[in-house]
Amino acid sequence: MADSTQTERPAPSRNRRIADAIRRNRARATVLAVLLFLLVAAMAGLESDQWFSTLMQGLSVGALVFLVASGFQLIFGLMDVLNLAHGELFMLGAYIGWTVYTRFDTFVDVLIPVLVVLAPFALLPLWRDLGRRLAGLERGARLAGWGLLLAGGTLIGVSITKFPLVIWDAEGFATTPGNMSVQLDLGMLTPLPPDSFGWPMALAFAVLFAGGAVLALGLAALRARPGEQRPLSPKHAAAAAGLVAGAVVLHLVKDPLNEWIFGISTTWRFFIAVVVAAAVGAVVGALMEVFLIRPLYDRPIYTLMITLGVGFVLIELAREVWGRPSFTMARPAAFNGTGEGCPAEGLGGFFSGCSTVIVFGSRLRVYNEGFIVLMGILVLIGVSLLLKRTRIGMTIRAGVQDPEMVEALGINVRRVFTQVFALGTGLAALGGVLAAPSIGLSTEMGALFLLTAIVALAIGGLTSFPGAAAGALLIGLLQQIIIRLGQTGIDLPFMDEPFKPSPTLVPAASIILMVVILLVLPSGLFGRGNR
Amino acid sequence: MNLLELRDIHTFIGQFHILEGVSVEVPRGSVVALLGRNGAGKTTTLKTILGLTPARSGTVTFDGQEITGLRSFDIAAMGIGFVPEHRAIFSDLSVEENLRIAERRKGDLERKEDLIFGLFPDLKRLIGLPGTSLSGGQQQMLAVARALVPDNRLLLIDEPSEGLAPVLIEQMIEAITRLSDTTTVLLVEQNFIVASRLGKTYVIIEEGRSVKSGEMADLVDDHDTIQRYLGV
Repeated sequence: MADSTQTERPAPSRNRRIADAIRRNRARATVLAVLLFLLVAAMAGLESDQWFSTLMQGLSVGALVFLVASGFQLIFGLMDVLNLAHGELFMLGAYIGWTVYTRFDTFVDVLIPVLVVLAPFALLPLWRDLGRRLAGLERGARLAGWGLLLAGGTLIGVSITKFPLVIWDAEGFATTPGNMSVQLDLGMLTPLPPDSFGWPMALAFAVLFAGGAVLALGLAALRARPGEQRPLSPKHAAAAAGLVAGAVVLHLVKDPLNEWIFGISTTWRFFIAVVVAAAVGAVVGALMEVFLIRPLYDRPIYTLMITLGVGFVLIELAREVWGRPSFTMARPAAFNGTGEGCPAEGLGGFFSGCSTVIVFGSRLRVYNEGFIVLMGILVLIGVSLLLKRTRIGMTIRAGVQDPEMVEALGINVRRVFTQVFALGTGLAALGGVLAAPSIGLSTEMGALFLLTAIVALAIGGLTSFPGAAAGALLIGLLQQIIIRLGQTGIDLPFMDEPFKPSPTLVPAASIILMVVILLVLPSGLFGRGNR
Repeated sequence: MNLLELRDIHTFIGQFHILEGVSVEVPRGSVVALLGRNGAGKTTTLKTILGLTPARSGTVTFDGQEITGLRSFDIAAMGIGFVPEHRAIFSDLSVEENLRIAERRKGDLERKEDLIFGLFPDLKRLIGLPGTSLSGGQQQMLAVARALVPDNRLLLIDEPSEGLAPVLIEQMIEAITRLSDTTTVLLVEQNFIVASRLGKTYVIIEEGRSVKSGEMADLVDDHDTIQRYLGV
């Protein structure tokens, strides 16, 4: 360390200061330069009413890419884990959102047994303690662990058939219309007969809970390590009891609940779907981190392989459960109005309930170019504030640099890891459910978006949150401008006909932009040199 | 009564047997200096106390309670502050945030403000700057100050004088001396002059074993021992 012995640095010379200022601001300058270039290219090649809508479409795609990229970046930045299942969590968010939106009844049916199975896991210290004693038996301890897993699985498998799970019949989804409530209103569908909560049902709950408990004990026995001992606190018991109670209450009120949900407007149902899908994404991410990734932090290749594997499992799961290869999702009512007064004019038109709005002479879709962009900006602001202003944000920024030192200060870094993983996967699932009404659902949607997001991150700098936003923005704009130019053609010098970029140039252009930027700035726009 | 006791600690890093039997006693209220050549295992001893490189055998007892095998953050939260070798200042955090992150209860920093800025007046005017803009000496002060924010009963300080100019070493010695009035300190120090001025007792570590310990005053005159274990 050359300057380690001086208390005060001498004032830098004028030239040095200018050079420093340029170096500090080169990321911002490059972003501005590329944006300016894209804008000029778009304006030169397009009519005025087209370039504005192209710009907004680019922002919309950029917002979705950002939602995937930001979560991926947070996880990689803090834990050095490349979560290759991130795209599939995006996909899962879309499928969960679709299910809550169009088939809320099925969602509740599945949620109830899942809550009961998860409840015993809240008592983890108890299972750890028992598991350690089991492991202390030496002979056959591992066998006992696997035996318990098998027994738990069997108990769950037997008892779960007592629950009304329409979902196991993929046909049920395959024939589900896009908007079930409309069909119910028209009398084309009849709701399922109501269930009662008798003794057989209570027994099924108990056996399912026992299955979850045996499963948790088996996992704890297999992973038992000597040393640390955490007592079972009332908090754990309360969490387990709360999960079971929630499941029982849901079971009792599910029919009125379904009726109410199908009665409210699609807009409200959509907001419920968005919240539920993001929450499910966060919970799945947290479980993934705790059970699959946490034991493997010191083996990076293994975490890579296991996230890749989880991605494949999720894809096959979606195929098996939802049956059809692709779906469409109806836009909620607030973004789907037609008829009188539509399309609305001016910025106020975004709130008119019309599906399209005309701003600056350009026709924009309220959902795609309004709502998605707004959500992207809200997430950007929200996560930035979280990182800058809160204690957990401070811990994340410190942990990115030196997790060991953060732990030596008395902070449970592992818990922060789980929280950040949940936040990241929750953002991906949020992106998925927001994308669904715009681009539809398919099992491949995740891989496509993850690839784009990784290119955006390479442009923005892998370890920088603002970099994720800038990269996603550039990729979105670039892609949309090239798609639009492919339709209209652009006059280039020395060419007789207007040049029309072919569709294959769209992904190619992102890669070319990445290559150019990485040649100039090897660690991306906002990245640090030393990583 | 000893605040901290290490008994026959063996620590491995990967395949390497780094500590092969280290025993250290830190009496309450004293300053103990860990001495020894480069690579003898002094830093690993500090990290083993905190559980950052957990001991494979042997016991660590803090304030009468065995802490071997506990998780690092639980150990630290019992009241142990750590000033690591290369300061480990968080460069993405401001000076204030670097102090704030060490809080275990809300308002710790406000409670300790007088103590910290009394020891290191320079930090007060640097409080808004980013962690990276500090010089090496300022970073060292910040690292010590960070360990003072919560109510720590024991400070583990690794190489406080490393890479500092003589005038700053004096300042650091004065600060640690003043600290030791209220806190127990376990110190790793390569510079024997500094170590002899700070430490009341010493433990010499040689090739992963604690080989000699005693009163610092006796060691200063024991030229044979100094030559044998610390000579260059």
